[in-house]
Amino acid sequence: MTLNSVVETDFPEEFVEEMEKTDDVLPKKIDANPENVEKGLAKLVLTLIELIRKLLEKQAMRRVEASSLSEEEIERVGETLMKLENKMKELKQIFGLKDEELNLNLGPLGDLM
Amino acid sequence: MKLYTYGIIDSSKQINEPIYGLEGTCVYNIFYCDIGAVISECTEPVQNNTKGNVLAHEEVVERLMEHFTVLPVRFHTVFDGRDNLLSMMQSYYKDFRDNLDRVRNKVEFGIKVIWPSDKIKEHITNAYKKNDKKVSVPGNSSNKRFMREKFEKYKLDEEFEKKANKFINVMDMFFSKFAAEKKLKKLKTEDLLFDAVYLVKKDDQDNFREAFEHIKGPHANFKFLFSGPWPPYNFVILPKNNDLLKDSRQKDLFDKVIQHQDLVGADTI
Repeated sequence: MTLNSVVETDFPEEFVEEMEKTDDVLPKKIDANPENVEKGLAKLVLTLIELIRKLLEKQAMRRVEASSLSEEEIERVGETLMKLENKMKELKQIFGLKDEELNLNLGPLGDLM
Repeated sequence: MKLYTYGIIDSSKQINEPIYGLEGTCVYNIFYCDIGAVISECTEPVQNNTKGNVLAHEEVVERLMEHFTVLPVRFHTVFDGRDNLLSMMQSYYKDFRDNLDRVRNKVEFGIKVIWPSDKIKEHITNAYKKNDKKVSVPGNSSNKRFMREKFEKYKLDEEFEKKANKFINVMDMFFSKFAAEKKLKKLKTEDLLFDAVYLVKKDDQDNFREAFEHIKGPHANFKFLFSGPWPPYNFVILPKNNDLLKDSRQKDLFDKVIQHQDLVGADTI
């Protein structure tokens, strides 16, 4: 215990666990050693693709909500989003990446996603 | 001789009582104009973020807080001699003065809240299913089923965020009453609803504490963490583009202070 400051909680383990989850998912520097340079770059590229995919999906949902898509358009958008999601799953599997790893810490702006 | 730095204080006088820092070294003040950098001498840079070292650093800062206004410096900030330290003090003098004036007679408190996200989601899902007027995606093709599932998730997430904002706004309203400044992050994870630091006048400490107890009372299924009073780790603002500090070890003098506080907090737990 420090001199004056106190940390009071009945659930220390839960808070430690949550704080560990919020640690930066990407290292401060790109770890570009020969063994994992591919994975490091894939992580960066897939993070950006994932961001664009989520933006597209959100925009589509807003249009569904506003009933501004015809049935045909919903069909086509659904097909596109489903294929995109499947392709992302495939790529994540190839490079051994988990969903929570696809993020970037933007400092004072918080996390990208 | 390398100088391990603990903080910047609003005094150009020597510290009256003996304070011991990392590895039992004597702590003293090197002043520039009317402010000072509190340091201890070390031969090798301290590399280990051990619990003992972090707590020793924190203890020095807290001792200083009893007598001075302190801008706590990041753990493991080492200057290569007195000239380098004074050069840094000269470069940042105005910023240090401004920050010292801002945080004078104030301390930092941290509040974190975990909420039962699973139960909240369950409740939202049940309410959504019962809602007859909801917009949905008709049709039974795989593409439309995919869109329907996505839309339901979108609506549930939206409702989840609305509920979170409602709780956060109420809590923040109580704490902000007694705070001069704040930094608040919502839903850092699905469970970690509220993660905030508040800069509170020393005279308002008891009121702030009372506000916390008041909020905690009616939320029996929420988990709370209260910490402080801390030095104002999260409220020191320095210009990012100041290129006067060439040494990379010293460039981010006050950066990542959150990590420092987390480290102290987590270790203290």
